Amino acid sequence: MTNHTPSTALEVRGLTRAFGEGDRLVRALQGIDLTVPAGSFTAVMGPSGSGKSTLLSCIAGLERPTSGQVLLDGTDLGGLGQNELAHLRRDRIGFVFQGFHLMPYLTAAENVELPLRLAGRRPDRHQVVALLDRVGLADRYRHRPAELSGGQQQRVAIARALVTSPAVVLADEPTGALDSAAAQDVLALLRDAVREAGATVVMVTHDPVDAAHADTVVFLADGRVVGRMDAPSAEAVAGQLAHLDDLVGAAR
Amino acid sequence: MTGLALRSLRHRPTSFVATLLAVGLGTVLMGSFATLVETSFGPVSDVDAETLVVMGAVVGGWGTLIVLFAVASTAGITVGQRAAELGTLRTVGATGGQVTRMVMSEVLAVGAVAALLGAGVATLTGRLLLGALRGVGLVGGDVVAGPGIAALGVTVAVVLLTTALAALVTARRATRGAPTVTPAEDGPQGSVLRWWRLLLGVVLVGYGVAMGVVTITVTADSADPYAAMSTSGSSSILVGVGMPTFAPWLLRGLARVGRPLLRGPAGHLAGLATQRRATSLGGVLGPVVVLTAATVGTLVLVDIDRRTVVGALDGDTELITLLNNVVVGMLSLFAAILVVNAYAAVLAHRRDELRRLWLLGATPEQVRRTVLLEAAVVAVVGVALGLLAALTTIVPFSIARDEGVVPDSGLWLPPVLAVAVLAVTLAAAASAFRRAVPPRVLAGAAA
Ligand SMILES: Nc1ncnc2c1ncn2[C@@H]1O[C@H](COP(=O)(O)OP(=O)(O)OP(=O)(O)O)[C@@H](O)[C@H]1O
Ligand SMILES: [Mg+2]
Repeated sequence: MTNHTPSTALEVRGLTRAFGEGDRLVRALQGIDLTVPAGSFTAVMGPSGSGKSTLLSCIAGLERPTSGQVLLDGTDLGGLGQNELAHLRRDRIGFVFQGFHLMPYLTAAENVELPLRLAGRRPDRHQVVALLDRVGLADRYRHRPAELSGGQQQRVAIARALVTSPAVVLADEPTGALDSAAAQDVLALLRDAVREAGATVVMVTHDPVDAAHADTVVFLADGRVVGRMDAPSAEAVAGQLAHLDDLVGAAR
Repeated sequence: MTGLALRSLRHRPTSFVATLLAVGLGTVLMGSFATLVETSFGPVSDVDAETLVVMGAVVGGWGTLIVLFAVASTAGITVGQRAAELGTLRTVGATGGQVTRMVMSEVLAVGAVAALLGAGVATLTGRLLLGALRGVGLVGGDVVAGPGIAALGVTVAVVLLTTALAALVTARRATRGAPTVTPAEDGPQGSVLRWWRLLLGVVLVGYGVAMGVVTITVTADSADPYAAMSTSGSSSILVGVGMPTFAPWLLRGLARVGRPLLRGPAGHLAGLATQRRATSLGGVLGPVVVLTAATVGTLVLVDIDRRTVVGALDGDTELITLLNNVVVGMLSLFAAILVVNAYAAVLAHRRDELRRLWLLGATPEQVRRTVLLEAAVVAVVGVALGLLAALTTIVPFSIARDEGVVPDSGLWLPPVLAVAVLAVTLAAAASAFRRAVPPRVLAGAAA
């Protein structure tokens, strides 16, 4: 493999996911195909309820697909049991949640090392402090989440997502609970993780300005991929979104 | 606010049931003995009246302590667990007073229903208890049960007053300071030890120890062989009920000492959680201490009594032993239910947090093991403190009955009971975990 044909970090094939049954059946995902090259930054956008969170959950093994395949770093998630999925989440995936999801009784440093601890590995304190330093929190590593601002908590969560050098970092509206300054910090961190540390990031966002940081934007509507944009600008993304809303509005 | 209170009850069945159980069973236990006292005021002989008062007031008094502790700690746990919800209400504009009133009306609504149900059952169990006393000949066959209205009325009032006080204190704590939606964690220094709490604990422990000293110095030499029992019998329970007021601080300190013993990822998390969450886990530690102290203290006491009093009152001894065992059995059962109760209430509010571990890559087994190891730390610390409390009954009574500091036999009792309490605590944690975090919560729902 050469530098000109980057390897694939994540591949999604014909993914569907339905919830409920009978007249309460919801088809959250209706056949998603997606290829994410290693070292790329992908933004996923779409109206509320279009299936963005469900897609990320399926990729992380938190939801089992109804049909279709998720290949993470070449591993087919469909063949894995509960424990293997947990190990995969711990070792190969970094998840950044809208609500941070830090453990309240652990310090910032302990939260960052948690995935290593769960794997039974002894964390390297220097690496953890270096990571916290990278997210601008070197002086806060002994603080508990309750003593940190929302933006600081999310930066801890990003350090935690990066600590295992995962194949893919999944971020579901990581800036959703933050003000615009804190959101810019968080986005810069994710982008730097891709540019400087070679991470692969898939991020759900509602904000065209956020999406413009990505290499590629994938648009979802009603559980389908309805568009794709490389080297996006905020204006182009906003225009596409407005167009999408018209389409969805017309369909209803 | 009352409407909101009633609606919010439906969303928290676990704390609802916890309060219902503690208050209801507590009222049954306390009420049964209280009716004996009321019966003693009826047309009965002086001897019978004295027996009834001793049974009702002395034995019932130990029970009352445990019941009031149970009711207060349960109300404390269930209200304390809701600090975040109460904070949210305040951030959307509810005043501290409104929130406190909502919590109080909720707790009192559940408490009143439970206490009335309990009082109804107590009229029955009170008669059964009197029947048992008549059956074994401790009171004359002609003794008839009093109406029980006054006794049960007082019982219900005392139980509800305790419930309300505990709820008020906890609600006030939750609504002090600026409104916030993220309270309920101990800070780095832990929560503050309030002076009245410290005072209450010191008074209870001090009183229990003092009774032990009185046993050795005064009642040991009394002509009445039961004088020593009446002074030392309640010591273990007094100290056992007093110790939990310092529970968070004891747990934090002891968990820190024991942390190196906890291995593996689950052990690492359990050690940190017990040390830093000492305030909420202290709600479980308390019942474990009381359960251990009450059963070990009283059963060893009864055992020493059975051995040493022979000859003096041989006819009555068997009966008194039997009765004592029945009472200990009831109190232990109650304290055991309290342990289960407390665990259910503590874990019900941690579902999100435990699921979070799974989201981050912990296996379901790791999540479960974390909870069980936490329970093990609480159980070991609780049993150790409970055994310490039991000594305040055992040592003085053993000295009073001339067996020396260490009783002559029956030494197998404390370790066996300690193991039983450990088992009850771990089983309580395991079942609370199964209910609070059913397998589907830690599984990618299959489609
Ligand atoms: N556990 C579930 N049970 C039933 N339906 C669900 C479940 N999870 C998601 N859905 C449904 O699936 C659809 C997609 O939901 P999803 O959360 O993926 O949307 P989203 O694109 O992330 O929306 P938002 O932007 O609001 O976060 C919605 O219609 C939702 O109601
Ligand atoms: Mg979503």
